[in-house]
Amino acid sequence: MDERFITTTPVIDETATARRSEQGVSKLRALLVEDEAADVELALRALRHGGFEATADVAQTAEEFTSLVRKNSYDVILADSKLPNWNGMESVEVLRREGLDIPVILVSGALGEQTAVECIKQGAADYVLKDQMTRLPESVRRAMREKRLRADHKQAQEELARSNRDLEQFAYVASHDLQEPLRMVATYTQLLAERYQGKLDDSADKYIHYAVDGALRMQKLVQDLLSFSRVGRQGMALSSTDCNVVVQAALQNLEAAILESGAAVKPDQLPVVMADGSQLAQVFQNLIGNAIKFHGSGAPVIKVTAEAKAREWIFSVEDNGIGIAAEQVEDIFVIFRRLHTREEYSGNGIGLSICKKIIEHHGGRIWVESEPGQGSTFKFTIPVKATPSGGERQNDENT
Amino acid sequence: MKTPEILLVDDNPADIDLTSEVLAQCKQRFHVNAVNDGAEAISFLRHQGKYTEAPSPDLVVLDLNLPRRDGRQVLSDIKADPALAKIPVVIFTTSQANSDISRSYELGANCYLRKPGNLTEFVAVVQSMAQFWLGFARLPQREKR
Repeated sequence: MDERFITTTPVIDETATARRSEQGVSKLRALLVEDEAADVELALRALRHGGFEATADVAQTAEEFTSLVRKNSYDVILADSKLPNWNGMESVEVLRREGLDIPVILVSGALGEQTAVECIKQGAADYVLKDQMTRLPESVRRAMREKRLRADHKQAQEELARSNRDLEQFAYVASHDLQEPLRMVATYTQLLAERYQGKLDDSADKYIHYAVDGALRMQKLVQDLLSFSRVGRQGMALSSTDCNVVVQAALQNLEAAILESGAAVKPDQLPVVMADGSQLAQVFQNLIGNAIKFHGSGAPVIKVTAEAKAREWIFSVEDNGIGIAAEQVEDIFVIFRRLHTREEYSGNGIGLSICKKIIEHHGGRIWVESEPGQGSTFKFTIPVKATPSGGERQNDENT
Repeated sequence: MKTPEILLVDDNPADIDLTSEVLAQCKQRFHVNAVNDGAEAISFLRHQGKYTEAPSPDLVVLDLNLPRRDGRQVLSDIKADPALAKIPVVIFTTSQANSDISRSYELGANCYLRKPGNLTEFVAVVQSMAQFWLGFARLPQREKR
């Protein structure tokens, strides 16, 4: 590197965060990708004028640039878009490769509108023309502000993801480990009921019945919680999935309910999508199963259709059942949320929450359109291009 | 015909009691022996220590997660010992992990059953197991002692 261009001795091991001093001056460490000494001076003068206590290193080649960004931490990169040896935009590429988030501002003699837009698209934070250098300080401030926001956002997202993982892990471990003691309670209260029914007094029979009932219900809840937490843990096996086959499989599992209710289920011709077949079957089974369960006065008539949109398929499961009030359409997707008493309708309120989790893991959405007494139409989307948010399927999953 | 000998290996006394209860209610008569950990199981099978007078079981019902000597180790000990290898071993456990199921069969388990969570199924599983292995299945003659 040419020593002439080091206009200020860089502060040794300075951290890259700009610090505002008492006079309202921010320290700034910049790396200039520039071959004209005069232009370096111009940039530094503009920065100092704009309230920065600026120090700068200069790189003229990609090699110099790479070694400098590895060695030092910079607040901002000011890059001339056209150097003889390399294009300043390549610095964006180098930073990306090195995993560094340092804003790059293009400083250029004449940058066509087209080129400017292209550079921003490729990841430059801004561009400043050499004859408008007074804009530079504001541009730097904005770029650094954006970087801070990006960092905060990323941190918030990571925290959210971590707490979600912790929660899933907790739900899994809790439900898994609860099963064993619960099995003891359930089997032994059942044994008590079987052995001592009518041998104690009436109250004892009733109490034992409560205990058995409670244990069995808790067992079901724990199993449901486990299936719910498993959707996230096991990841997905995405492959070309023929929804016609998937719906047929779901219908087969619902055969008893269909026969008993006299339901007419009419699936349209459905597409082939990228999905986890067994998870998608579970979604159809839960939705069609609900359509049968929450039927109106007549026999259930259920239509299953699919509509192609630009980036996704919209699937619909339409019924002529009891419908859902507008204020409850959000509630129904929450785990263990039930709109009816157990006497009216059985179930723990797990089905739709599992559907929601599965669809969201496939990168889709699920919602319901309904009016009380007018039937319900559950709709969900599956992206045409798969964007899975789960990991690899683990076969050794403890269940 | 002699009464079949069953060895239950389980660290949960509630499960041993329940399994014994169910076996006692079968039409067929069995002698039920029980030990609480893997090391005891091996001593029992090899007639060592306090088990010199113990019978040779016709069927071993083995839990996987056991103190001292793990169920998987007990299983592999049994199948590696020519004197014991012919005894059918039924794995009877709460685990339904695929890894446990495959590993057990790899180690020579004769059957893998999951302990059901409710009494009706538990009774059905234990009774069918006993009926199948000690009723229908033809087993090698018990070792003379």
